[in-house]
Amino acid sequence: MFLTVIGALNEGFLQTLKLFFITLLGSLPLGLVICWGSMNRFPPLRWLCRFVVWVIRGTPLMLQLIIIFYIPGMVMDQNPWPAGETGRFLACAVAFIFNYACYFSEIYRGGIQGVPKGQQEAGQVLGMTKGQIFFHVTLLQMIKRIVPPMSNEVITLLKDTAIARVISLQELIWAGYAFLKTSHGYSNLLWPLFFTGVYYLIFNGLLTLFFGWLEKKLDYFS
Amino acid sequence: MKKMISLALALAMGLSLAACGSKDAKNTETTSDLAYVQDKGTLVVGITEFEPMDYQDDNGNWVGFDADMATLFAESLGVDVEFQLIDWDSKTMELDGKTIDVAWNGMTLTEDVKAAMECSNPYFNNAQVVIVKADQAEKYQTVESIKELNFSVENGSAGMEQADAYSLTYTPAQDQATALLEVSSGTADAAIIDYLMAVASTGEGTSNPDLTYTVSLADEQYGVGFRKGSDLAAKLNEFFAEKYADGTMQQLAEKYGIADKLVEQ
Repeated sequence: MFLTVIGALNEGFLQTLKLFFITLLGSLPLGLVICWGSMNRFPPLRWLCRFVVWVIRGTPLMLQLIIIFYIPGMVMDQNPWPAGETGRFLACAVAFIFNYACYFSEIYRGGIQGVPKGQQEAGQVLGMTKGQIFFHVTLLQMIKRIVPPMSNEVITLLKDTAIARVISLQELIWAGYAFLKTSHGYSNLLWPLFFTGVYYLIFNGLLTLFFGWLEKKLDYFS
Repeated sequence: MKKMISLALALAMGLSLAACGSKDAKNTETTSDLAYVQDKGTLVVGITEFEPMDYQDDNGNWVGFDADMATLFAESLGVDVEFQLIDWDSKTMELDGKTIDVAWNGMTLTEDVKAAMECSNPYFNNAQVVIVKADQAEKYQTVESIKELNFSVENGSAGMEQADAYSLTYTPAQDQATALLEVSSGTADAAIIDYLMAVASTGEGTSNPDLTYTVSLADEQYGVGFRKGSDLAAKLNEFFAEKYADGTMQQLAEKYGIADKLVEQ
């Protein structure tokens, strides 16, 4: 029994990890784009970006998942998401990437605006171009500043993947919860659900170690 | 100025959504669901794991009375069958969003279900029964005797309808299994669940040896649900009649031990 349950939980955890990494891969750069937009000197673009951030941060991720997965099929003749598990995963990835990109963009903005103006002026004095100043001076110092708030968000993201079960993505919590009913021939098992906590805890432990290491690594900027 | 523009943006978004909405109403009425399913080549069947209706065998294939019937039905339409585990609460949304084509998982035909979906003829007789701890079962054999108890029922289930009908005190639970859990842990005195589920999961040799079922509150029937207005429901009724006439349905019911409750087609 133990092995069957662990096997099922591992399968769920694999989905959780896949969603976790794909969300990071998409939202880290997208956050920078939104951040650039929301600090842009061209007002309509700035307003649009801030409006999007307001809407995405202002509504529950659970609702966003339901909307992007179900509404298109209701409005159109055919549901645009690919068939089977792939479609559900894709919808989750899109919703999670947008959601987290908006949070990240605000953290980036705080980090960028926290870099003293003198740093940019020094760059100008040295004759650096705007791009050079951003990538070689501002961005590098911003990264160091944003590590603690980013680690918060990333740890939250791992746990938030559980929300994907609302559109029946079979992630870790789903796999654990299924044993409460019937799954893989076992019914009414309570412990698999609680056992999922061990997975989150261990992986978040690893993430914490990683961010600790990263912070040390970036120490030379201080 | 800022406010004006954001207001205009919000308005534009709302309007575009509304525009999409009205277009859809016209389209879905004119297209045949049968043609849609045959065109895409798969019948996506929304299920939960529910023995003996839908469950996985050792090889990970979906079997059970409903699963086998669904496979045969898809075959008769000339399409592949695909089983999709869903959150049962979202079945109407899954149908309307076209993320599944049919909800086929021992579904009780309640008024709510019939209003939200295009349902097939009933194919199976079920009942809602009261679950109590086995050592107290003697005390609760009549409807009168259970009125004082605190119940746990699956939110939105047929059991909850019965609890309302008899004006019982209850707390909604996420699903029937959770309702059972509440009874065994003592956080509720009793639960109301499906007869099928009660047989499979209470009493000796099951996962809840300390529980048993007593009063039967309502007889009810299982049906299959399609999108509202779908022509697949009529198609399935024909299919049921054919398979009942040639004895396939009875054989399958026999195989899964539920033959005594099968409804004549």
